Amino acid sequence: MSVSQAIRERVRPVLFMLGFSVVAISLVSALHLATAAAVERNAGLFRQRAVMAAAGLTVPPRPAEVIEWYHNAVTGPDEDQPYFKVSDQAHVIAHVHPMRGQGLWGTIHAMVGVNPDNGLITGVSFVEHNETPGLGARISEPWFEQQFSGKAGPFKVVPEGTRSQAKDEMDAVTGATVTTTAVRDMLNKLMEKH
Amino acid sequence: MPKGEAKRIFRNNLGAENPVFAQILGICSTLAVTNVVENTVVMCLGLVFVLTLSNTVISALRKWIPSRIRMMVEVLVIASFVIMVDIALRAWLPDISRQLGPYVGLIITNCIIMGRAEAFAMNNKPWPSALDGLSSGLGYSYVLLAIAFARELLGAGSVWGIQLLGRDNIFAAAWLEGWTNWSIMVMAPGAFFMLALFIWIVKGLWIKPGEQKGCAQCRK
Repeated sequence: MSVSQAIRERVRPVLFMLGFSVVAISLVSALHLATAAAVERNAGLFRQRAVMAAAGLTVPPRPAEVIEWYHNAVTGPDEDQPYFKVSDQAHVIAHVHPMRGQGLWGTIHAMVGVNPDNGLITGVSFVEHNETPGLGARISEPWFEQQFSGKAGPFKVVPEGTRSQAKDEMDAVTGATVTTTAVRDMLNKLMEKH
Repeated sequence: MPKGEAKRIFRNNLGAENPVFAQILGICSTLAVTNVVENTVVMCLGLVFVLTLSNTVISALRKWIPSRIRMMVEVLVIASFVIMVDIALRAWLPDISRQLGPYVGLIITNCIIMGRAEAFAMNNKPWPSALDGLSSGLGYSYVLLAIAFARELLGAGSVWGIQLLGRDNIFAAAWLEGWTNWSIMVMAPGAFFMLALFIWIVKGLWIKPGEQKGCAQCRK
């Protein structure tokens, strides 16, 4: 193999790949840096919305209203208080606990609000999960999240469509037994403490 | 580009050489994302975008890419575009991004993109390659949408989250209340049944045996 042939077949591909990788990585990194602030803001706003929903309040569509409400009404969580304390004019209306449980495909994260006066659930909001779309992922649907408001647990699971109003019953998601059980256990663990 | 070339590319990729039902490529995503129409639409948009751009870029660079490492280069181009789509969704459409979760990243593994890069973009000029990417993406999309429509309707009684059958249907029709969801349709076996049915119907009724010679471009 002559020297020029060796350069063409061995050296050039390596240099090409190296140079091309640098270009591709630079483009992707530039886009990442340019959007990092927006991504961070979205994540923060999403958490604030979840806390608001779990406290049993209606979440306004405009982001600015959510941020302003959060700033005025929510404190924590910190070292002595592992939950978000939500107040309405100096009166504490809910303790919102960040909870987690093992679902079918991964960890389910949820915000669960409890009224400190009577120990009833004010709301549940699922923040993050990897459940099957169309089955387990239906726990994020409004009917499932809203069914817990005003209930106390510990929960028994009844078939989907029962629309149970009993304080210790929750409707299941059909075809998603593992996910439903995970949600039940997560809530029962919290309600035992109250 | 010769006259009629664009029309031929489109006709092939949408019909006789359709990536899904003729070339049987991209099956993993066809099975995975088609249980809900909404996810399918976003997946298809992402794929059309990535496929068109990756075909164009690879075609533009085809004379400079050393043939020994061409696959590495192709994967790098594809992966870069997919990551860009993912970042853009997270920044500007956070709700959709959260719903799709890992699916966007899975576009990288869609064999149609690599297949078109190898079979078409490495041998053709950028403009026909862009058209080839676009039409392959559209050919993939309409098959997926048809399957997703049937699966969501039968499996959950809804289309795009709008309840059409069963309790609380938007027509408020009493005779639709008794609908029972076919849960198997939103699970993996339902996808196999629907895809097989689709391929069977299309190959049986539409594509005549003479047209099934395989991909003419691939043989070059």
